[in-house]
Amino acid sequence: MRLPLYVLAVSGGALVQCTVVPVVGVGGIVPDVPVVLTVLLALRYGAEAGCLTGFALGLAQDAVAGGPLGLHALSKALLGFAAGDLPRWVLVTRPIVPVGLAVLATIVDGLARFALLQLFQYPAPLGEIFTRVIVPQAGYNGIVAAAALAWPAGRLLSRG
Amino acid sequence: MLDLLVRYRKYSILGVVVVVAVALLTVQQTRPGEGLWIAEGIAAVTAPVQTAFARVHRGAASLWAGYLDWKHLRAEVARLRAETVALRLRQLRQEALEVENERLRNLATLRERLPERTLGAEVVARDWNGFTRGLTIDRGRTDGAERLSAVIVTSGVVGRVAVLRRQSAIVQVLTDPASSIGGVVLRTRAQGLVEGVAGGRLRIKLAVSEEALQPGDLVVTSGIGELFPKGLPLGRVLRVYSPTGLFRTAELEPAVDLTSVEEVLVLPRGTGGDLAPAFPES
Repeated sequence: MRLPLYVLAVSGGALVQCTVVPVVGVGGIVPDVPVVLTVLLALRYGAEAGCLTGFALGLAQDAVAGGPLGLHALSKALLGFAAGDLPRWVLVTRPIVPVGLAVLATIVDGLARFALLQLFQYPAPLGEIFTRVIVPQAGYNGIVAAAALAWPAGRLLSRG
Repeated sequence: MLDLLVRYRKYSILGVVVVVAVALLTVQQTRPGEGLWIAEGIAAVTAPVQTAFARVHRGAASLWAGYLDWKHLRAEVARLRAETVALRLRQLRQEALEVENERLRNLATLRERLPERTLGAEVVARDWNGFTRGLTIDRGRTDGAERLSAVIVTSGVVGRVAVLRRQSAIVQVLTDPASSIGGVVLRTRAQGLVEGVAGGRLRIKLAVSEEALQPGDLVVTSGIGELFPKGLPLGRVLRVYSPTGLFRTAELEPAVDLTSVEEVLVLPRGTGGDLAPAFPES
């Protein structure tokens, strides 16, 4: 993998998540750009890059968000690893696959974080979190992933 | 061991990452509320960027809010302007209605004062070219109008019915160059002929001495010829010209502003008597 692109994607993603994203919320729901980036980079560059990207982006997200450090890092590292391993099993050259995967990854990431948060006595019920946060965010991420792939520079992230 | 790690690099990286993350979570779970140096480090990098972006965002939001305010204000100004115009139009309509009301009331009063039954009519058109001057009224043969009937308003004579149609009539006004009516100077009872002059003016020609005709004198119909009853105001003397031969000529200001007549009364033909008492203002 080209290191400059990797560094640019990771730092840019973290920056976008902590600056632009809070402004573009719709009805209180914001996209999770690190999830989208992790999935797209993992599909393009493999499990190692996906795992490291997820970890780096998640760690930055944790630091900025002020939650438990390692929460996003762990869930996104696992996500990146799984997504990076996927091309061995699934044909991912069609654009619908990364977009669908971004949606699915957001749901998995959300559920994983919810499970980890139970260690910290997180009070909100799963049903509420799932319907009001995870699902809308997954939809939003699908749109972001489609937009990223449609954008000319985003083709660097595409496997096709 | 190292070989094993290299061989399974992918899983090794995953393992390291998971161990680090779990370790971080565990430390925090056992020491809740205490910040970790790594979080502090990342925050130290991201915080200035966040602050800068927040400022830019605040500035942009403020600019946008200002733009929206300006847009709303502009819309509000446009709405208020439209409202002002509508109110002004309403006021003008109201004023026009009041004027019309006043005019109709005066006409009704005149109608009551006149001895004969008159026919009220509305002016529906004007023919104001240089050669002829006429008004079209919305009353005709079927309404009982007659040819050569006198047409008047509250201030005096308008003219006579020149063309009679089924439902309308054309009135030849006093200032038509072909119009001539017998007139009398009210003050001196000197008699003459009141004629229309091209250009919309009116004059009287009479054979009298200089004293018999002065500016400001009121000229009324003489009743001679039986087309117009006596005493209907025709106009006031504006200026008297030097005599030519036996005749003296004077320019008259028509008693009626013929350009703004809107409703008229048509007198039945053969209306006789002196109608001067019906025009007390004159």
